Amino acid sequence: MEEFLSIFIKSAFVENLVLSYFLGMCSYLAVSKTVKTASGLGLAVIFVLGITVPINWLINRYLLSENGILGMDLTFLRFILFIAVIASMVQLVEMVVEKVSPALYNSLGIFLPLITVNCAILGASLFMISREYNFSESVAFGLGGGFGWFLAIVAMAAIREKLKYSDIPAPLRGLGIAFIITGLMGMAFMGMMGIDPAIFFSGK
Amino acid sequence: MSEIKESKKALFPMTKKERKLLFDPLNDNNPVTVQVLGICSALAVTSMLLPSIVMAIAVTFVIAFSNLAISMMRKYIPKQVRMIVQLVIIAFLVTIVELTLKAYSYPVYKQLSVFIGLIITNCIVMGRLEAFAMANPPWQSFLDGIGNGLGYGIILIIISFFRELFGRGTLMSGTPIEMKIIGSSSDFWIDTTTNSWFGWYTNNNLMVLPAAALFLLGMIIWYQRSKNTKLVDIS
Amino acid sequence: MNSSKYIIGFTALLTAFVALVLSLMYTGLKEKHKQNELLFEKRAMLGAIQDRAKLNVSDIKDADIIDFFNKNIEQVVVDTKGNILTPEDVEKHGYKGGKAENVDMKKEMKKAFENRILPVYIYNDKNGEKIYILKLFGKGLWDEISGFLALGPDINTVVGASFDHKGETPGMGAEMKDNPKFPAQFKGKKIYDESGKLVSINVRKGGAVDPEHDVDAISGATLTSNGITDMLKSSLENYNNYLKKLK
Repeated sequence: MEEFLSIFIKSAFVENLVLSYFLGMCSYLAVSKTVKTASGLGLAVIFVLGITVPINWLINRYLLSENGILGMDLTFLRFILFIAVIASMVQLVEMVVEKVSPALYNSLGIFLPLITVNCAILGASLFMISREYNFSESVAFGLGGGFGWFLAIVAMAAIREKLKYSDIPAPLRGLGIAFIITGLMGMAFMGMMGIDPAIFFSGK
Repeated sequence: MSEIKESKKALFPMTKKERKLLFDPLNDNNPVTVQVLGICSALAVTSMLLPSIVMAIAVTFVIAFSNLAISMMRKYIPKQVRMIVQLVIIAFLVTIVELTLKAYSYPVYKQLSVFIGLIITNCIVMGRLEAFAMANPPWQSFLDGIGNGLGYGIILIIISFFRELFGRGTLMSGTPIEMKIIGSSSDFWIDTTTNSWFGWYTNNNLMVLPAAALFLLGMIIWYQRSKNTKLVDIS
Repeated sequence: MNSSKYIIGFTALLTAFVALVLSLMYTGLKEKHKQNELLFEKRAMLGAIQDRAKLNVSDIKDADIIDFFNKNIEQVVVDTKGNILTPEDVEKHGYKGGKAENVDMKKEMKKAFENRILPVYIYNDKNGEKIYILKLFGKGLWDEISGFLALGPDINTVVGASFDHKGETPGMGAEMKDNPKFPAQFKGKKIYDESGKLVSINVRKGGAVDPEHDVDAISGATLTSNGITDMLKSSLENYNNYLKKLK
């Protein structure tokens, strides 16, 4: 349990996918204009990440590796399979959202299917491989990473909503200032570098 | 009339439209600063020039050839599986890039690590497929791909130029043409330990962090939009 | 055009084509990949003895590395009790090739202490002396860190070190690899104290105090430096019994 919580907290805060690794910027910048749409998208991302990272772990371990069911080293198919899993998952989420909340579905528009090509989603699966997590670690990582992305996009939306009332030079307005703010937020998050949540759980 | 056309063709190997495809994305329609695509990798890999150049070449290859492939298949792709077909083609090309880099440029492969795979989700690739290749002939699509790849590449090179120069004092580190420009040892052209004008200079560590790439991008956008008022955001 | 048969046929054809091309490419390049991985490891290892062997690791060509290795380096695999393993034993642990270069230190460090097997590279230098190069592996601030420590014929004094990392902060933790001054500090330090106890080397924040067993930490990178200290301690402990047997 400790290990699980530790990775969850790390991937949500200390190693935030958007603010520390700058993954998922495209939709992050485009959807962070209002808090409402931002939180809707953020929730969808938590769901997709929480499911695709563990599924991809299973695929990697049981299908693609030499020790898997097929007995052959098929790691070169990794990219194709991972993105296929993600695309299918997003398709599923789309159908669910459309049924459960048509209003949200309409306000998110094209950004819901665009979750498929969100660097953070594929990136999380690739990090999971590169860091050689085990199954429970990949679940923690998927959920924590999604949660962190959610926090980042909602925070950004809150800031941008306020920014509408400030006086920014014309050429910098909109995109330029969004970049600079993200950079500053990224630097702020670097302050959390090195925190190992495990120390909170070791009972010292 | 046809004589004039012939001589024109000889001078400009491409039609005006084709040149537009190739050169527009370099400035007016730059995929990164105007279309706001492909940001993720622009930030992470630009800490040094060499990986940025390799990344730019890799991305150009993927955009151009996926554009080409999808354009050639566009009349045959069933509507229902359009997106998955596009993704498979992109993932296929990126896998080729990865296998090639791993074999012929191993140090850069290690440095780029996860970001090679992330070319798949580079919004520019998918963006161009949907916006252009699905509705245009193969040669034009190929050129559009090259153009957008170059537009992306130029931004990467500008950012990494500044980040490497001010963050480490070198340029093209990791290649035979490494230029050690300013630093605190005798290997550098400007040796801060002995030079009387630049003794105070130390590397700017901020440049080495990804946040710096965001700041630089913001500034490039600021510059671009003040020169080209059409692009100013009125939102 | 949009009948189910067409869709299935189209996707099947596409999948088959893609899988075929990729598997051909993969099998064709597999050897080169493996070679590159081993060369990368060898190059890192040479970093620890480049002064001693008068090499320049950043310039040396791949072919020269292989040549140097064949002529001067002996590869040995040992366990934590100090026994030397035969190549067959090494292969039984899952490492094809049976040599030190095939051993995956990351995997070994995950195992319990008694079960670990470790790579050792023995450099027969120009004076006929034996230099022992040991592999280090640990955790830095962000991700894994690794390195090589080269010990002189007295199995105590360090003649060189080289370090690598996976994701430390450039300008700070990454200095362990990027700044040659950091590993250079290790030259001349000792890993055993006068009573023969393995004390390893301490990467000390605030600067080295003990001239034989301390080096300066990287400024601004306390956690990476602590990671290096821990890496040295735990990695060297693996080799302790082997080193004692050699003395």
